[in-house]
Formats: sequence, C-alpha cells, structure tokens
Amino acid sequence: MHGVGQILQQNRAGVLDAWLAKLRDTAPGAQPGSLQLLKLELGTLVEKLTAYFLLDDGDGAGPAFKAVEEQAATISAACVRDGLTPMETATLILSLKTIAGEMLDRETSAKATELYRMRTALDAVVDRLALITFAAFVETREEIIKRQGRALLDLATPALPIWRNIILMPLVGIIDTQRARQVMEWLLEALSREEARIAILDVTGVPLIDSRVALHLTKTVEAARLLGSQVIVTGISPDAAQTLVKLDVDLSNMITRGTLRAGLAEAFRLLGPHAKGAHETML
Amino acid sequence: MSRSPGFPDPAVLGPAIPGPDVVGPDVVVLRVTSEIDAAEVRQEARRLALRHGFSTVRAHGLATAVSELAMNLVLHTTRGGLIRLTAQDTPDASVIELVAEDDGPGIPDLALAMEDGFSTRGGLGCGLPGTRRLVDSFTITTRVGEGTRIVCQVRRP
Repeated sequence: MHGVGQILQQNRAGVLDAWLAKLRDTAPGAQPGSLQLLKLELGTLVEKLTAYFLLDDGDGAGPAFKAVEEQAATISAACVRDGLTPMETATLILSLKTIAGEMLDRETSAKATELYRMRTALDAVVDRLALITFAAFVETREEIIKRQGRALLDLATPALPIWRNIILMPLVGIIDTQRARQVMEWLLEALSREEARIAILDVTGVPLIDSRVALHLTKTVEAARLLGSQVIVTGISPDAAQTLVKLDVDLSNMITRGTLRAGLAEAFRLLGPHAKGAHETML
Repeated sequence: MSRSPGFPDPAVLGPAIPGPDVVGPDVVVLRVTSEIDAAEVRQEARRLALRHGFSTVRAHGLATAVSELAMNLVLHTTRGGLIRLTAQDTPDASVIELVAEDDGPGIPDLALAMEDGFSTRGGLGCGLPGTRRLVDSFTITTRVGEGTRIVCQVRRP
C-alpha cells in the first residue's frame, strides 16, 4: 500500500490548506487567535500522519501511529479549549478523509484496485483518529465532572462550634452512602476536637429521609454516644415525620426537635444551668 | 457565539446532564443503577405527584416509597433495574402507578422480606414493609434467579 505516504508528503501543503478551509466552515464562531494555534496542531498531525504512512503501511500499530494518536488527543484538547463541540471536532477530523481521499484520486496514476486499497487504509486511520479525539473529549469532560463532584462534597458539611460544648452540623442536599460516612467522620472528629458534649444535626436541607438515611443518622448518633456526646436531630419536616411513622423507622433512641431553635433550647437544657452562663464561658 | 469550553452545544447532543427519560407528560421512566439515580427518580416522583394535585405529605410519601424501591435496586441487584411512574387523571381523582422491576437475584423468602426488621444488607429492615404502608396498593412478584417486580399505586380522591 505504499503510495499514500509519498502522495501525502508531496501534497502536504495542499491538504493542510483544504483542511484549514474546512476548519473555518466547521467552527465559524471560534476566535481567530485560537484557530491559529489549532492550525499549528493540525499541521503537526498531517506531518505525523505522513511519517506514519511513509514508515509503516497502515495497520495502526507501532510507535509512528502512537505519535499520530497522541497528536490527535492534543487536537481534541485544543478543540475543547477553543469551544468546539465534540460533533464539530469529529467532523473536522473526519473531513480529512474526503480531503486526502480526493487528493489520492487526483495524484495517483495507480489502478482502481490499488487506489481502493490506499483509500481504505486512509479511511481506517482517520476513523480511528476520530474515535480517539472523541474518547479524549469525553475523558476531559469526565474529569471536569469528577472535579465538580469533589468540590461539592468538600463544601457540603461544615461542623460549627456554635457554643461552648455545642457543635452544629447543618446537612444540605442528598445524603448518599459516601456523604453519610463523611458526615459521621467529620462530626465525630469535631466532637472530640472541640470536646463538645452536644451535636446538633440539622436536616432542614435534606430533601428526603428514607430508611437508608435514617439508618445513617442512627449510626451517627450511636457513634457519638460512644464518645460521650449526645446528638440532637433537628429540622425534620412535618411531611417527613408522617412518612417516617408510616415507614416505621425506629428513631426513639434519638433526640429530635422540630426546629433548630428548639434543638438549641434542648441542648442548653441538657447541659444544665451553667451552660448559658456568663459571656466568658460562651466559647 | 460564545460557548464555555468543554461543554458542547446542547442543541447538537441533547442535554449535557443525562436527565430522566420523560416519555410523555405523565410517564417517567428511569434506569436505576446508582444512588444518584435513586435520588433523581424520587425527585421526579415528588414532582409528578405535586403536578397531579397530591398533597405535599402524599408526594413526600410517594417519593420515599420510590426511594426505598430504588435503593433496593441499587443494593440488591448488580445491573440495577427500571422504575416507571405513570400518572393518570380522572375528573375528580388521580392515580399514580409505581413499577419497579429488575432481573436481579429475586427474593428467596418473600414473607420474611415483608416482615418488619428483616434485612440482608444491614439496613433497618423497613424498606419493603414500610413501602407497603406508604402506598394504597402493593403487589410483589419475585422469582429466585429471575428478578422481582413490584407494582404500587397511590390514589387521590
């Protein structure tokens, strides 16, 4: 299948020009400045592709193809940076098929069967490149989503020492297993760090308490008890209360109060007459 | 034309975040394989109930029932399962049907599973019996090695 490499080498400038024209059609909204960078990357890809076809005849293995693959991934990243959609990126890569294919038609004097084999080899490589750019695109986005997830988890559960001996932990959002584990960990850590006797767990911001969440709450209360601290759960909505009764979740070993205010009052009651005391004992 | 990098045009690829497959105005179908799916489907359930005139308590109850069944799919099957919610209005009433089905391991002792306080996975053991108390009708069919199908209904006069 020799021939593809030579023809590409002789017509590199032409291929690149046609491709860049295609790029302008594909991404009319992109910044001219960033397109300049993308042009360089595309140029490098054509170069690497030429090297690959010159060296090795197209079964997609070996270090030469590896270099092509890496360049394709770089282009994908560049496309993400320049705000091209995956669709546009894939279209751009796939357009190489038409461009280089037409050039093969024009430049070769080979027989039809030979031409067919050259085009097939070219098509296979370009298809592979399109898949690689797409995979790289997805990977980039997965990474973004993962980062966002971690960021959300981090800001989710602060433990606030609101009074001497009292820690408040407002829970907001969905309590899944991972969050529940983290809530317990952080609450226990805060309890022992602050030497607090009471933890108020406010669930006003938790949309729904099912048996799974109830189980996590129970476990947290038990663990806190082992540290010698008591947990007051506040903010269970009237809707949630009725549902929990029907579910028949046993929360009897847990101190619960409707509102955070009532919970705080209960905390003071539990701490006894000296809790509220003079200002200097507040913190 | 400005786009944030990394996020493709929604018009080309559909919503950036895969949402539940809303088949019609009254049907919500979601495949549940992870806890996030469970959270999503119960939110949809609550919205559906409120949309059809159920009180907030009833909507909360339905959402909780959905959550219990969805968490069962997450915890007890390897491939998850399907939750389907269908709301049907008549002039002065409304019915929401909740179907949860999977091709998971099935429940060997159904009577025991429907008992309060029984759990194979260290739960509180009130998932299935609790769900039954939260809905107006509850049917469960299960075959060991083939799967489980639960059909519930909540009604509003």
